[in-house]
Amino acid sequence: MKARKSRREELRHLADKLVGAGLKAGADEIEVTIYDGHQFEVQVRQQQIEHLVEADPRYCSVRIFKDKRKATFSTSDLSWSTLYSLVKKAIIRASRTQPDELAGLPPAARYKVDELSLKLADPALIVLKSEEKIKLALETERIGLSDRRIINSFGAGFESSELKTILVSSNGFSGEYFETEASLSLGLQAGQGDQLVEDYWFSSARHLKDLSSPQEVARKAVERTVRLLNPRKIKTQQVPVIFEPMMTSWLLAFLFQCVSGEAVYQRTTFLADRLGEKIGDDKLMVMDDGLLPGKPGSRPFDAEGVPTQTTKVIEAGVLKNFLCDTYAGRKLGLASTGNAEPEGIGPNNFYLERGQVTPEEIIRSTQKGLLLTRTIGQGLNPVTGDISRGAFGLWIEDGEIAFPVSEIAISGNLNNVLNSIEMIGSDLSFSSQICGPSVKIAEMTVAGL
Amino acid sequence: MTKQLVMNSVCPAPFQLNTSLLKKVLMTALSRGGDFADLFLEYRTSLSISMEEDIIKESEETLTIGLGIRVIKKDRTGYAYANDLNEEKLIKAARAAAVIADQRISRPRPVAFRPIRVKNRVAPVKKLATALPLDEKIDLVKRAYQAALNFDPAIKKVQVIYAESTQYVWILNSEGISVKDCRPMIKLAVHSLAERQGHRESGYYGGGGRVGLEYFKNSMTPETIARESAREACLLLEASEAPAGSWPIILSPGHSGVLIHEAVGHLLEADFIRKKTSIFWDKLGQKVASDQVTIYDDPTIPGFRGSYNIDDEGTRPDRTLLIDRGVINEFLQDKLSARLMGKKANGHGRRQDYSHWPLPRMSNTYLAPGEYSPEEIIHSVKKGFYVSRLSGGQVEDSGQFTFSVTLGFLVEKGRLTRPVKQATLIGTNLDILQKVEMVGHDLDFGLQTATCGKEAQQVPVNDGCPTMKITGMTIGGQL
Repeated sequence: MKARKSRREELRHLADKLVGAGLKAGADEIEVTIYDGHQFEVQVRQQQIEHLVEADPRYCSVRIFKDKRKATFSTSDLSWSTLYSLVKKAIIRASRTQPDELAGLPPAARYKVDELSLKLADPALIVLKSEEKIKLALETERIGLSDRRIINSFGAGFESSELKTILVSSNGFSGEYFETEASLSLGLQAGQGDQLVEDYWFSSARHLKDLSSPQEVARKAVERTVRLLNPRKIKTQQVPVIFEPMMTSWLLAFLFQCVSGEAVYQRTTFLADRLGEKIGDDKLMVMDDGLLPGKPGSRPFDAEGVPTQTTKVIEAGVLKNFLCDTYAGRKLGLASTGNAEPEGIGPNNFYLERGQVTPEEIIRSTQKGLLLTRTIGQGLNPVTGDISRGAFGLWIEDGEIAFPVSEIAISGNLNNVLNSIEMIGSDLSFSSQICGPSVKIAEMTVAGL
Repeated sequence: MTKQLVMNSVCPAPFQLNTSLLKKVLMTALSRGGDFADLFLEYRTSLSISMEEDIIKESEETLTIGLGIRVIKKDRTGYAYANDLNEEKLIKAARAAAVIADQRISRPRPVAFRPIRVKNRVAPVKKLATALPLDEKIDLVKRAYQAALNFDPAIKKVQVIYAESTQYVWILNSEGISVKDCRPMIKLAVHSLAERQGHRESGYYGGGGRVGLEYFKNSMTPETIARESAREACLLLEASEAPAGSWPIILSPGHSGVLIHEAVGHLLEADFIRKKTSIFWDKLGQKVASDQVTIYDDPTIPGFRGSYNIDDEGTRPDRTLLIDRGVINEFLQDKLSARLMGKKANGHGRRQDYSHWPLPRMSNTYLAPGEYSPEEIIHSVKKGFYVSRLSGGQVEDSGQFTFSVTLGFLVEKGRLTRPVKQATLIGTNLDILQKVEMVGHDLDFGLQTATCGKEAQQVPVNDGCPTMKITGMTIGGQL
């Protein structure tokens, strides 16, 4: 523990030293980020450990600006001679690229929260022994396999990680934070002969106490797998489609791509000209929030040292804000929203605000329709908003789940989908950085026979 | 064709680690009773240059160095890696990996390394791109950018990315193998955005592989790549919504190889076979596809993205016949699966980098040419769907798969008619494989920019196929 702490002090000094050396070597501005992590992973299958991984990864990533020209590098070799030669090479590379008036670091800002107030790390997770982690995975799989309908397992996994992020910039910014995360997962297979079905479930959290129990993960994995047994094919038709929370997440991930400031200035999103306009149903409220204590996407500052914030993206169906890093913000004449990632723009906690109805009520309200449980493939085009994906789901008749369906694809357009949201569920849980509750869309094309 | 090779003569500094230290690390890895251990030392330099909005906006250099340590005990794998290659860190990592074998103390037999020289078969490179001046690469990027922008007034935005990397690997194992290789890779890719009357569409094209910069003179110029990208964006402006329902499908040569990769290749990877999760696990020697279907995986095609001289476990690969006229002939093996199944490793153990252990993977996978001409195949369809560009796909172990079509055409009375966009093809592999009715003689390969993901590990691949007809498949478009 102590050794780790002193190593991190050393890395902090290394970042400071590199910023100084960069300026001295001729950079106008320099920003240094060092990541220092610890990783554990166990996967068990058929009650045997399949693999066990332990590592202390670390790397350093640097942006430099000279005469409004930019060059970056990253390296997993943190020796001073390597770092210094990469800085010098970056300055030379920058001189070969072209000036961009808007390039440069943000002004240094003070962030008001830290890893403690954001509850980013869990001391209990740090001291949890490997044997305990292995036990959790074994127990999860054992319970899953004990169900007679389950014929095979893809394995249960427990992963945990600790990560220290240190950011120092020549504009005077200096900050760091430490975070933890753990996840427990199980994948199962059911069926017989060539009629096999598979599904999985997982729980992930920053704090051990927020992680679902092995019983809970196994129960969900079993339930999700066996409900797909004996699927039928359906005719191609247009019906209401209900998205389970995990499905709402991918829909929101697609929306995120479309409201990212980078896509806006590159005009690779159908929402590029729609700021301030009504783009969806009145019920629609979408937020990006980096300040929610204990949640997976929370952090005190983004990859450029800009403090994170609470940003309304869509309010009552009106597009309120694009999500920007410093550069996209300057391009669009907007402020950074604290969404910078090492590469491009990323979400903090990007979520759809919950509604009033329970998921059961949503199903009951549906005469005939599809409960979408999983999709596979790509088929999302931010330029047009077009959606087309392979899908798995449960067919609904007279307000009840009737049978599973297979070999279907759903298609539609995000613009239409946002405008035809009929119901929003109350079942929001922050299980990932991008998340939302169950959602019912009035009509989409479901292709089958 | 293959010029002088790059490796063996070149030895990057981190490869100066002395063999006795590596031997000590390997012995430590086996110290708890492991059956097998290997070390994967990697040193990789990468460079990327991007151009958008009329300026060369950014260049990025990445330097990766790390050692991965794997220990196998029966079917269990212990894995650890380190970025810091000093003795203390390496021994600590070796101890962490060793734990998988749970004996208290074991005296492994000392290993004597037998260095093997690798003959370069797959990277016909005159000079490593890494060794050439930045300006030459910037020039390629600018040429592509201009060509895309000048293709049509409808092209409003262009983004060009050049990327190169040189990966040096040194693989040592407890069987005494010690082998090094150098794997160069380059790529030039163009995204074009076309806009007309408020309607926008994007196009993509790219080229590259395990080649040198001369590729952009001899094989595919930056202008060709740019024009193909812009052409796709413009064509999509004219395209209408794809149909929905079950239709006869014709797949274009080259790009449609991804269907072979997804629908067949993944399910023949030996880990899914020995775990019995693949639908094919008990079907070796059985007929699973129509007579038209013969499929190979070939890591030895010179210049191809998916190729390698040795796999990531040090095994020399050969072309593998996966399906022979409809019958499953062989699986894709890595060392672990091969040993557990009593088969021979056939050079398909691949990993993303030093931080991952090898898995059975594909390289360049293709459907062998058949007897029909593409015209014959198109003429045979009264009403159907011609898939021109597939952008990707996904498969489940149960055999259900999907593919994303970016551009297609309706087939009416044996002719391609109007272009259609954005659709998803879905099916199950056993069903589709029986329905391969005609295979053309025009084998071609997809873009040299493809990457395949499995268990969160990305590796470069390519795939190919001739024109082929499937009697019926579900298209998820609009009603």
